[in-house]
Amino acid sequence: MNPGDQLTTRLKQLAALLLVVLTVFGLFAPSAHADDLQVKVRVQNQVKNESTGKTTKEPVPGVKVEVLDAAGGVVGDGVTDAKGVAEIPVPTKADYTVKVDESTLPEGLALEDGNERSIKGDAFLTASVTVNFFTGSAGRATVGWWSQLAQRIADGARFGLILAMCAVGLSLIFGTTGLTNFAHGEMVTFGAMMAYIINTDRGITPWIAFPAAILLGGLFGLAQNEFIYSPLRRRKIGLVSQMVVTVGVAIVLKNVFLRILGGRTKAFGAFNNQSCTKVGPICITPRDFTTSIISLVILVGVALALQRTRLGKATRAVSDNPELASSTGIDSQKIIRLVWIIGGMLAATGGIFRGLDEGVSPFMGSDLLFLMFAGITLGGLGSAYGALAGSFVIGMFVEVSTLGIPILPGESWPAPFNWFHDGVPSELKNVPAYLAMIVVLLVRPQGILGRRERVG
Amino acid sequence: MNWSNIITATLSAFFGVNAMYFAISALGLNVQFGYAGLLNFGQAGFMACGAYAVGMTAHYFGISFWWGIPLAVLYAVLFGLVMGVPTLRLRADYLAIVTIALAECVRLVARSVTFKKYFGGSDGINQFSGPFVDLSPWNPSAKYSLNPFAASTNLVGAILLLISYTVCSVLLGSLIADKWTYHQNVARRTKWVLSSVVTFVVILVLVSQTEYDGLSFKSLVVGWVLAAVIAALVFMLMRSPWGRVIKGIREDEDAVRSLGKNVYSYKMQALILGGVIATFSGIMFSVSRGSVQPDNYSRDVTFYVLTALVLGGLAKVSGSIVGPMLFWGILQFVDVFLNELTKSWGGEVRIFGLPLITSSSDIGVLVQIVIGLMLVFLMVFRPQGMFGNRKEMAIDGH
Amino acid sequence: MDTDDTTLSETARVARAALAGVAPEPGVSKPDPIMTAVGVRRSFGGITAVDVEKVEIQRGSITALIGPNGAGKTTFFNLMTAFDTPDTGQWAFDGKSLEGVAAHKTADMGMVRTFQLTKSLTKMSVIENMKLGATGQRGEKWWNGIMPFTWKAQERDIEARADSLLSRFKLDHMRNEYAGTLSGGQRKLLEMSRALMTNPKLVMLDEPMAGVNPALKQSLNQHIKGLRDDGMTVLFVEHDMDMVHDISDWVIVMAEGQIIAEGTPDQISSNPAVIDAYLGAHQGKSLLEDL
Repeated sequence: MNPGDQLTTRLKQLAALLLVVLTVFGLFAPSAHADDLQVKVRVQNQVKNESTGKTTKEPVPGVKVEVLDAAGGVVGDGVTDAKGVAEIPVPTKADYTVKVDESTLPEGLALEDGNERSIKGDAFLTASVTVNFFTGSAGRATVGWWSQLAQRIADGARFGLILAMCAVGLSLIFGTTGLTNFAHGEMVTFGAMMAYIINTDRGITPWIAFPAAILLGGLFGLAQNEFIYSPLRRRKIGLVSQMVVTVGVAIVLKNVFLRILGGRTKAFGAFNNQSCTKVGPICITPRDFTTSIISLVILVGVALALQRTRLGKATRAVSDNPELASSTGIDSQKIIRLVWIIGGMLAATGGIFRGLDEGVSPFMGSDLLFLMFAGITLGGLGSAYGALAGSFVIGMFVEVSTLGIPILPGESWPAPFNWFHDGVPSELKNVPAYLAMIVVLLVRPQGILGRRERVG
Repeated sequence: MNWSNIITATLSAFFGVNAMYFAISALGLNVQFGYAGLLNFGQAGFMACGAYAVGMTAHYFGISFWWGIPLAVLYAVLFGLVMGVPTLRLRADYLAIVTIALAECVRLVARSVTFKKYFGGSDGINQFSGPFVDLSPWNPSAKYSLNPFAASTNLVGAILLLISYTVCSVLLGSLIADKWTYHQNVARRTKWVLSSVVTFVVILVLVSQTEYDGLSFKSLVVGWVLAAVIAALVFMLMRSPWGRVIKGIREDEDAVRSLGKNVYSYKMQALILGGVIATFSGIMFSVSRGSVQPDNYSRDVTFYVLTALVLGGLAKVSGSIVGPMLFWGILQFVDVFLNELTKSWGGEVRIFGLPLITSSSDIGVLVQIVIGLMLVFLMVFRPQGMFGNRKEMAIDGH
Repeated sequence: MDTDDTTLSETARVARAALAGVAPEPGVSKPDPIMTAVGVRRSFGGITAVDVEKVEIQRGSITALIGPNGAGKTTFFNLMTAFDTPDTGQWAFDGKSLEGVAAHKTADMGMVRTFQLTKSLTKMSVIENMKLGATGQRGEKWWNGIMPFTWKAQERDIEARADSLLSRFKLDHMRNEYAGTLSGGQRKLLEMSRALMTNPKLVMLDEPMAGVNPALKQSLNQHIKGLRDDGMTVLFVEHDMDMVHDISDWVIVMAEGQIIAEGTPDQISSNPAVIDAYLGAHQGKSLLEDL
């Protein structure tokens, strides 16, 4: 068979596989979200915990809200329920204004940022748009700066470990095949989604559901290699074209996940609503503590395996020099297959842990993708240890940078210039990480742990 | 099923605002990716530069948004420098990663509450294109057609439209005549004239189905003329010695460097030039809506422009115009077709008893899946685009 | 070997006469060097790829750079043409130091190179490949690019020059074909003639004979000799000892990154250190010890 025919056969297999996957996992299953367009209004009261410095949000029931159309006419109204949510149906995807009747707020609570929000018609990505209102109770307690720092470092380490677990696969795949996989975030989402479906939807215990999801993640990685990238390599499609293909794959997968999961973030049924235990200045839930330890064990295991085992050494050899490796009898295709499986499993694990932390959404993986890139660039593209270290540092950096250093000047400086005093606003916390990546490329393009190689 | 509705919507999308601003952006991406081989994944960032420059002049600086145009060019040049300086000496994938991350930074900063004073937060900046609206001989609330003989069109518009259709017909006619290899005894000139006339008639029939409101209509006229001017400039540039160097770099930058060309500088020029072109795309899009919202410049927009460009064919000026038209035509067709199908099937589409579409939002998701699949399959099977020639692609790259 | 004086061209005789009195030692000084390198070292991750104490290239000569695989010949080429930067050392071309000079500037100074793996720009036509080689083109400024009147006249001159080179190298019948349709040997010829478009003083050819069929090899030989006749200096890397013997005036031998021998082709072919280096009898230790 010539390569073209082989590819056609492969693609038929791929199409069949895709159909099976879609059928099984719900593209054809009843949609998770409601048919009718609606505006969800959520009113929450922010309470700052004195010891942790973390803000928790509590629902505010019994508040009257109304939705007005562009002309100012009332389209619908409602009262928030026990969850602090009022669902108000709307006829079309149009621009609306949401208004809270402040007189119905409980005594002592005031809205933080006005009593009106406007919604654009294009905001209706799904049938429902959520609008949040926050009230803040007066007189927030402050926590010592050092305790806050300790807490951020703990959170940062936890996030860094998860990020590193997601990024190792990306780095290994890059190292062995040269491919920058823009669909790696979707491997993370896939793991979390499968765990959610098996555990929370189908009600199977997490002790079975999570390992099953991780195994499926490995299979998912293998399938991508076998049905997409391996044929492309055989066909000698250039790396840049392959990179564009990964972009297409990412778009397809993200939307398949969106169809299955719906647009809203979902919480796992398991290990939910834990209260945190105080360890010194740090407050950590048993769940987060356990996932951190597991992440650490897995990452050390991966590092040791790369260092000690025959397959690990072979993997590093292929990363260093594929031609040399294959001339010494290493089956590089086998190594690449292995790397996709391991990468898929690690990404799935990272996805599950992230999902336990932040909930499962179709976009959770792609939101992490650039941080993974920043991590592996920082550590040195293609170096697995670099990816581990770099991602850990980036994860830490993202969390800790939101804490300002109050002894530095800038308290009353205007918004863009006060970050070193007040910390990076959390909505922008990824920006410094991206900029750090660019600075690293300027100063030391091979990354912190990478070797100098001939460039340009 | 309402077929006339489907056809009208598809054709309107074919020439519509989306296709117009995508075409300008695709021209820029073509300079970068198609000709110079620079994988810029931050095109949305360049577009945001343009959109926010015009938005900010009105909203923040409080002057007419026309001043935003030079500001937009300045933004794009600076943005290109920030992207290019760290990456253009490195391997291609670094550029892809950095451009996509920087474009994301722009969007995050633009939609942040922290910078709301400057960029208007996630609502963006609205209703600033007054001067553009006032310029209008067209009534914003009336409906217009791209048909030059329609009663609603005024004389200036009709003449402009007729001229542009003629130019398009003659150019396309020439292309068709080249591919018309049978009928050897017919002179090429005859084939050209015949193809041009047929193309002209087809265009008129197609556009007579379209309908736009006054503001869109004006944006379309201005935007397509702008696209045509940029296309002509890119076409000339690519046939100049400058274009020769750029194309050489795409194939083998070491060879070009050994011949004494400053490859780094040329790559930077291509990146910035493509970015400045894309910034005009952002300007046209925001002006046509009179508003700019950060989420219209997400990474998906870059990917859609890329898909549209690949659809039309890389490294061809015509590809960057035809690709976006086809792209939006196809998307609109799929969207409206599925909507009509759902309606006529009683609100649900089932295949083998399994529900495929249960709500209108499912259609949007399916359309996105179509985009992704389109990108994958084009890149693998037809990297030369829908109309590209196989001969050039068949040449061994090594 | 047809190296007897009757078949030599005038320039060859001049070049050989100038080198006749030069001692056949590594790093020996030449009467009129066009290129000099002193103490140039380059290592990759602990492995020293190039460690040249001193080498000079005689102006107007054809100098061959030979050595076994992995001797560092190509790396040395890369260092001299600024495609790579040495860790230490000085090197100069035509009396001007090349330290910190970017690769593209070496071409402006009159130094041009070809590559071991031929770099013809396959999706451009042969004539476009050629025209790319010309230096100082006004139309290569983007603002001139959109104003054809600023460069059309120059373009005609360049095209005429390119056409005359193409007919000299017998590629004129392929003028409008994609370079990708050329055979391996034709690509070598195209790369060489494209390099000549830069009007170089020194032409550095990396394995010009690799993958060329024997029939074409003879004409390539003649073309290389022709470069010297036109007043250019040629430095080339080659494996084929017959060819080296045939056309070169001077031979430099590299092994394990070092220059181990220099001399006329006859001197080199009887040099025991060279024979050892090719047979690999001295793996692991410096070959200089044996000289």
